[in-house]
Amino acid sequence: MKWLEKYKPPVPVLQKESDYPNWAISSTSTLLNHTGTWRIFRPIYDNKIPPCNNECPTNEKIQGYIDLVKQNKLSDAYKLILEDNPFPSITGRVCYHPCESACNRKDYDQALSIHCVERFVGDWGIKNVPLAKPIAKHKETVAIVGSGPAGMAAAYYLGLAGYNVTIFEKKAKLGGMLRYGIPTYRLPKNVLNNEFKKLAALNVKFKTNTAIGKTVTLDVLRKNFDIIIICHGAHKNRPMGVANENSDGVYSGLEFLSVINAGKKPKIGKKVAIIGGGNTAIDAARSCLRLGSTPVILYRRTKAEMPAVLDEIEAAEAEGIKIEFLVAPEKVVANKKGKVIGIECIKMKLGKPDASGRRRPVPVPKSNFVLKFDSIISAIGEQVDLTILSSDVAKTEWGIKADYLGRTNVNNVYAIGDCVTGPKTVVEAFGAGKRVAFKISGEEHNIEHKVERPVQFSELNTDYFEHADKVKVAELPVKDRKKNFNEAHLGYNKISVKDEVERCFSCGICNKCDNCFVVCPDLSVIKQNGDYEFDYDFCKGCGVCARECPRYAITMKEESKVETE
Amino acid sequence: MKKVITGNHAVSYGAQLARSQVIAAYPITPQTQIVELLSEFCASGKLNAKFIKVESEHSAMTACIAASATGARAFTATSSHGLALMHEMLHWAAAARMPVVMANVNRAMGPGWSVWTDQNDSLSQRDLGWIQLYCESNQEVLDTTIQAFKIAEKVLLPVMVVLDAFVLSHTSEPVDIPEQSMVDQFLPPYQLPTKLDISQAKAYGGLTSPDHYFEIRAKIQKANEQAIIVIKEIDNEFNQMFSRKYGILEPYRCEDAKVILVTSGTISGTARNVIDGIREQGRKVGLLKIKLFRPTPFEDLRSVLYKAQKIAVIDRNLSFGHSGVFAQEIKSALYGLGAAPPIFDYVIGLGGRDVTPNDIYEIIDNTFKSESPQEPIIWRGVRL
Repeated sequence: MKWLEKYKPPVPVLQKESDYPNWAISSTSTLLNHTGTWRIFRPIYDNKIPPCNNECPTNEKIQGYIDLVKQNKLSDAYKLILEDNPFPSITGRVCYHPCESACNRKDYDQALSIHCVERFVGDWGIKNVPLAKPIAKHKETVAIVGSGPAGMAAAYYLGLAGYNVTIFEKKAKLGGMLRYGIPTYRLPKNVLNNEFKKLAALNVKFKTNTAIGKTVTLDVLRKNFDIIIICHGAHKNRPMGVANENSDGVYSGLEFLSVINAGKKPKIGKKVAIIGGGNTAIDAARSCLRLGSTPVILYRRTKAEMPAVLDEIEAAEAEGIKIEFLVAPEKVVANKKGKVIGIECIKMKLGKPDASGRRRPVPVPKSNFVLKFDSIISAIGEQVDLTILSSDVAKTEWGIKADYLGRTNVNNVYAIGDCVTGPKTVVEAFGAGKRVAFKISGEEHNIEHKVERPVQFSELNTDYFEHADKVKVAELPVKDRKKNFNEAHLGYNKISVKDEVERCFSCGICNKCDNCFVVCPDLSVIKQNGDYEFDYDFCKGCGVCARECPRYAITMKEESKVETE
Repeated sequence: MKKVITGNHAVSYGAQLARSQVIAAYPITPQTQIVELLSEFCASGKLNAKFIKVESEHSAMTACIAASATGARAFTATSSHGLALMHEMLHWAAAARMPVVMANVNRAMGPGWSVWTDQNDSLSQRDLGWIQLYCESNQEVLDTTIQAFKIAEKVLLPVMVVLDAFVLSHTSEPVDIPEQSMVDQFLPPYQLPTKLDISQAKAYGGLTSPDHYFEIRAKIQKANEQAIIVIKEIDNEFNQMFSRKYGILEPYRCEDAKVILVTSGTISGTARNVIDGIREQGRKVGLLKIKLFRPTPFEDLRSVLYKAQKIAVIDRNLSFGHSGVFAQEIKSALYGLGAAPPIFDYVIGLGGRDVTPNDIYEIIDNTFKSESPQEPIIWRGVRL
């Protein structure tokens, strides 16, 4: 019937019975059947930001170098750290390691001991990797005021980029707070000296014993250099603001540490009170102990509010140092000759939280009491000395006004580190130095890779990980620490570091574990030259790979939202 | 060489002489002895085959299909619930045209739990494309097992060799065990036209569009139709070498019979004696033993049955809601003949209840005496 003709079915591929196989066998392999067309979600390899990298103030690629250590590629691991932090032997020892506080492994058993791995790689690199040479050339000259961690880091990256860099240092030796603020039992001087050899190899020039503002003014410097970076730190001791503060036997914490670090022995009594709860207070107390005195720390809040790094507080306690909490100085007690004999204190209690979020200490009325001491070390904080500044550089309440990249209100004058932020940490200074250098050399895209929400513990598939506590680091026994300034932590060795790095989850970053390759039911994960690709011709989008990825490095994306290439 | 062996061991010897290359099985009464002996053959080196222990009959059949696809001669044996568990893979074996050979020892399905014989297990697998051959004696079991491989490999359909539980499986009879060299001559090594070959990757049993599925199904039916001719040829060939012949149907004293009794399996042997007795009384009765149940030999059935005045069918099975399965077959085979004889369907012996010479006598007697069947199903021996 004519009207039916348009409904005729299409002619099939096989027409006669003899053309047919006896049963369903394709004329070619299954590859003809592009089952990928069934897919509504597609897996994509999608590396994310792990929390350690994200938290690091200098944005080290922590997962990256740990993975390289796993693969026994120590040289590559070292070079990867140096992309963001020129001095890992320093941070490996003194960093407050916010990476470890963020480590997802803490929700599984214990955070990775990242700083110990960093220290191992840093020390290995110093010994085994040739010093870097400048990789480019720039004609601009840069003056860096201050050779502390911020200035050193800036000098390294600018030197690497081929700038003509000169560092001006007030003191006789380089390092600022690293050399004069941190005791050698935490950061041995030879570590520091070895790290600073990197700067000489990058043709950085040094002018020590040159205090800006006295020997040379900042204005003169500005005439002679194209770019100025101010990073003279925060070294001015904050006064306690109590009577008799200037008595004989009262020291400032930094001044005290600086004398020891210069290789001298400060005159100090038997019983020493240290006022404050920060790192300087702890360093001063532990140094006193090593000088043969009996230190007592007086702190006006409780342990929970102490700004010092917890590891350091615990180390001090392990060494037998007593900390008196909720006690504030009211008055230094001196004898008639003006020599310290004790301190009058008042008891405190915690009130409402202050601007820092910590509970404000409030004096308990009529709770005054006197404690006998031979010396008092005041370590309640440091301030920025702003007297060196030219009048046109803007200031804030506590320091120089500069943005995240170090830019001040004056063109080509930058300010970074503690002189901008007030007293902070070594790694934050390194980060500031890196940022300003990358800003100046036009590598802003390399400055930071951070996100609001790094990979969460709940996003990992922990079925693939065995529980393992962190590998303990060797330490000098307490009895061997008390009489000298030898380094207390001994660090990992080649074997222990290997065990520790194996604990890394590699959050959000593919480390070629082969799991997706193994679990794909459609053989649609293709491995080529050690890399993976999805074969979207056949991937049905089942999502097994993403679900089974131990580290959340595969994301399922709705097909309709995938941009067509 | 003659040996006194059970029906189960007759299967084992058949599978051994056929040089099975892969045997995958799961034990189930009353079949277990079949694979037990085969496993001993494999262990002692009398049979060079891979014996695969599996966790279920479903896997046993799957393993046989896969082995067969690679070009190996595959064998398994089962019974009742084991056969039912294989059901999905029984479809697959037939539609994949894999010449797997399986022995099924007829055992009643539970519940109530039973290990005794009836035919419901194998007959309920009748629509899959499997060839089904029902045996009467241990000799027939052995010979049919050897023939089954040749049939299967010729028409590319799986073959089920069926024997009654205990009445045959556990009963010993003298059996002539042929020479291996003769069997080798009769049954050359297995050659599959298409076999799995990783150097030429192909999709096996994959997605088949409506454009092509239908034709492939039609080819299964054509192979079934062709099988009727092939089975006869192979039976003749077997006869030439071993001087034993079974046919697809075995008529006995049917030429002038007014009543023809239709049987299958071991009941046939009993019935033959009863028929001789009734013949002596002067009543013209014959016997038609059905060996080939699937594919149904319509022409052959008609040519024997059309002359009879009445037909009595013994069904040791029941298609619930319909009638005995063999009766259905006979009815459909005779449909359209001008004057088809009335067909009496006797359902008897379910769950292994004995079928005695007296039962068979009464069945034949009732058929002679009745004009037409009293009921669509005439129950024998059931206490209603």
